[in-house]
Amino acid sequence: MRTELIKRKIKKEFNGWWLISLIGAVVILLPILFIFSSLFLEPNENWMQIRQYLLKNYVTNTFILVAFTAIFTAILGVTLAWLVAAYDFPLKSFFRWALLLPLSIPTFIAAYTYRTMLGYTGVVQSTLRNHFNYQINPEWLSVSGIGGAVFIFTLFLFPYVYLITRAFLESQSTSYIESARLLGRKPVTVFLKVVLPLSRPAIVGGTVLVFYEVLGDYGVTSYLGIHTISTAIFQTWFGMYDVDSAMRFAAWLMIIIIGIFILERLLRQGRRYHLSNKSRPLVAVKLKGLAGVAAFIYCGVVFLIGFLIPFIQLITWAFMTFDKVWDATFFTLIYQTVYIAVISTGIILILSVVVANVSRSHSYLSVILSKCVTSGYSIPGPIIAIGVLAMFIYLDQWLAPLYSAFGLGEAPLILSLSIVMLIVGYFIRFMATGYNPVEVGFEKVGIRYMEASRMLGKNVTKTFFKVDLPLIKGSIISGFVLTFVEICKELPLALLLRPFNFDTLATKTYQYANDEQIYEASISSLLIIAISILSVIIIQLIGKRVK
Amino acid sequence: MSLSKLLKPLLVSAALVVGLAGCGAASDNEEGEAAKSKTTENQEVNIYTARHYEADDEIYKKFTEETGIKVNVVKGKAEELIERIKREGQSTAADLFVTVDGGVLAYAKQNNILQPVTSDVIDQNVPENLRDVDNNWIGLATRARIIAYSKDRVSPEELSTYEDLTSDKWKGKLLVRSSTSLYNQSLLASFIELNGEEQAEEWAQGIVNNFARQPDGGDRDQAKAIAAGTGDVAIMNTYYVGLLANSEDAEERKVADSIGVFFPNQETNGTHVNISGIGLTKHSKNKENAIKLIEYMTNVEAQEYLSSTNYEFPVNQNAAKPELLESWGDFKMQDLNFDTLGEHNKKAIEIFNKTGWK
Repeated sequence: MRTELIKRKIKKEFNGWWLISLIGAVVILLPILFIFSSLFLEPNENWMQIRQYLLKNYVTNTFILVAFTAIFTAILGVTLAWLVAAYDFPLKSFFRWALLLPLSIPTFIAAYTYRTMLGYTGVVQSTLRNHFNYQINPEWLSVSGIGGAVFIFTLFLFPYVYLITRAFLESQSTSYIESARLLGRKPVTVFLKVVLPLSRPAIVGGTVLVFYEVLGDYGVTSYLGIHTISTAIFQTWFGMYDVDSAMRFAAWLMIIIIGIFILERLLRQGRRYHLSNKSRPLVAVKLKGLAGVAAFIYCGVVFLIGFLIPFIQLITWAFMTFDKVWDATFFTLIYQTVYIAVISTGIILILSVVVANVSRSHSYLSVILSKCVTSGYSIPGPIIAIGVLAMFIYLDQWLAPLYSAFGLGEAPLILSLSIVMLIVGYFIRFMATGYNPVEVGFEKVGIRYMEASRMLGKNVTKTFFKVDLPLIKGSIISGFVLTFVEICKELPLALLLRPFNFDTLATKTYQYANDEQIYEASISSLLIIAISILSVIIIQLIGKRVK
Repeated sequence: MSLSKLLKPLLVSAALVVGLAGCGAASDNEEGEAAKSKTTENQEVNIYTARHYEADDEIYKKFTEETGIKVNVVKGKAEELIERIKREGQSTAADLFVTVDGGVLAYAKQNNILQPVTSDVIDQNVPENLRDVDNNWIGLATRARIIAYSKDRVSPEELSTYEDLTSDKWKGKLLVRSSTSLYNQSLLASFIELNGEEQAEEWAQGIVNNFARQPDGGDRDQAKAIAAGTGDVAIMNTYYVGLLANSEDAEERKVADSIGVFFPNQETNGTHVNISGIGLTKHSKNKENAIKLIEYMTNVEAQEYLSSTNYEFPVNQNAAKPELLESWGDFKMQDLNFDTLGEHNKKAIEIFNKTGWK
């Protein structure tokens, strides 16, 4: 009886849209399964050595790094979001979007810029030394170790918390905050007793994004010489040439991440508030006198050190090295970066639309499906890389008879030496970035139009192209731009999965920085930042047009 | 009906995906075919290199101008390139593998991705001690891993050997980069070969005990830390001293001026060198061209160019050195079979882990 019911349900829902979604989910889940399979292998002697001398250190470093970054980004992000959402002060409307700009600077670029700038030969110390005859203790300013990494991550990742919390406060918190204000609560009390508890889901959501970024980071930690679980994956893979132990690290890191995921669910639950969707926007209170100046200074300082100062520093370095570094290969670099980003983003968006369309039924199956396809965002790049690589080598072995039938030689590596591998890596990692805006778009549109069209006899596919697609065009474009930026900035996947003769702006920048050629890295860094800023502007323009 | 219902969207997205990916596939094919037609004419040579220097590119360019043989370069990290040549197997496009550090070259040889090079020209250009014992790879340039010292606070008479750096007089004054650096791994591997495992471990422990600070940054950073007064002596590479001395940044040039270069172990078993080398891959398709390029890169002219722009010691003994390198004088280098660096690499990493050299 029950199976009969399920069968009927499957029959009713199953169509080509479902099939594509399922294939997408399988491509995303397979590499993860490959990683977990390593836990069942017999540990080798390298692993024993790692466990004896290093594991404790790696785990503590990772924990300290993640914990402190989370605390500081939450403080910075929430206070700024509250100021911008609830008050009016000089240049507020500028800061409202300018505080997002730190996100346009990839953290590893920020790390080497700050380290060099504040280092012994950097502009700060040399100015003090040469013009004021004052030698500051270089260790005080040194951007190094875990402290340095927390500084960099906090300054350049806080916009995740800021953006989500601000959006929440601006649109959904009005009635509670205004009631509290009317009842005569002081601003600090309003912030502590109303804003903080109310926006907990938003704060947790933003902080968790920061968590994932830090856990999966390779650029900053390897540059500053911090041993974390992520760098250990690289080191065991390429330093000890031991893929099995690297996979084992990856599996443990996955377990930590699943733990965080569950924790996030628990933290978000507990109390629930009834928030009306059609809440009025929050009216900003004008800050007078000293308070206004203080708010201005606070936002200004964060903007300066989180964006403007490193940006200007990079420009001066670019001028210094332009003649030496700039040549026609940069056009190839830009072309390759944009090329792979466009292809990957295109595939991601097509699948996002398909899955989101399927998920509109809100059946159990479709909810599971959408969770599966978006699960890649929480998995650090190095882990995805290793899983994808394992999967592709396996695929190549499996396809070997086919290859030789086509006369491609005995057991060649076709797929795992092609650009397909990197595209699949990006697909897994950034599916969520493209999917979420599309899903939101579908939710806003609702299902009325679709149902009307279906009722009038059009099938799913026709309805989609005639009715839904024009309605969610804006969401698709913003999903595209967001994903595009992320891919242009991405480092570890590109480093590990790119085919030969293939460099992106990010890998080129990393290569320079890794060869201790910091000044030479500035031009490719600026190009990445330019692409990011341009994309942010495009999104802003789309947002305005929709309004 | 149900079949078409199933297929339609599938076909639509498949067409889109193929369309998008098609642009990529097309250009790949073109490249592949172009490569094929060229190989029949023997007009190219493919290099996988972990040396990312403009000087190298310039030499490849000159080679093409003189011989008409096109040089295709693929850059990457040494370990990744080896891994890829291994995975590519017989179908590899690589003819030559180039990297810095004898340990990695030995590792490439161990992995059976190289083959012996026979050429009288090369044998004449490069002395035997700067080639692999089986000619699996040929040295291109060397850098000495020396002791840099503060000209203000240390007199060269106080310095003698690597071993002496573990003595108490350097407590809290010694700077060196992290053990994840291949340069340090090969240095320790050479000590394992020359002095035995036990002494090598004692040495590493002694160095850790004398750290002025936890290892931080690259070789340049150690020089800067001497200038800043964080420490007095540093183990570092001559190549970086050359780069600092010729930097675009006046502050970096000042740092180079403030440090002296000391070649350790001259009275005993010699100074450790990092050797850059070039090897012919086992499945090279353009062997003749590849050997021509090695011959070209080791000739006097190319060697002088490399040394003067990249501040490395030439392997060709007839090549003149730039002023800065000349000013350091001649030195005795460690006498060992580079294979041993590869053999002891794992042990070296284990000792670093054990002694807490981060």
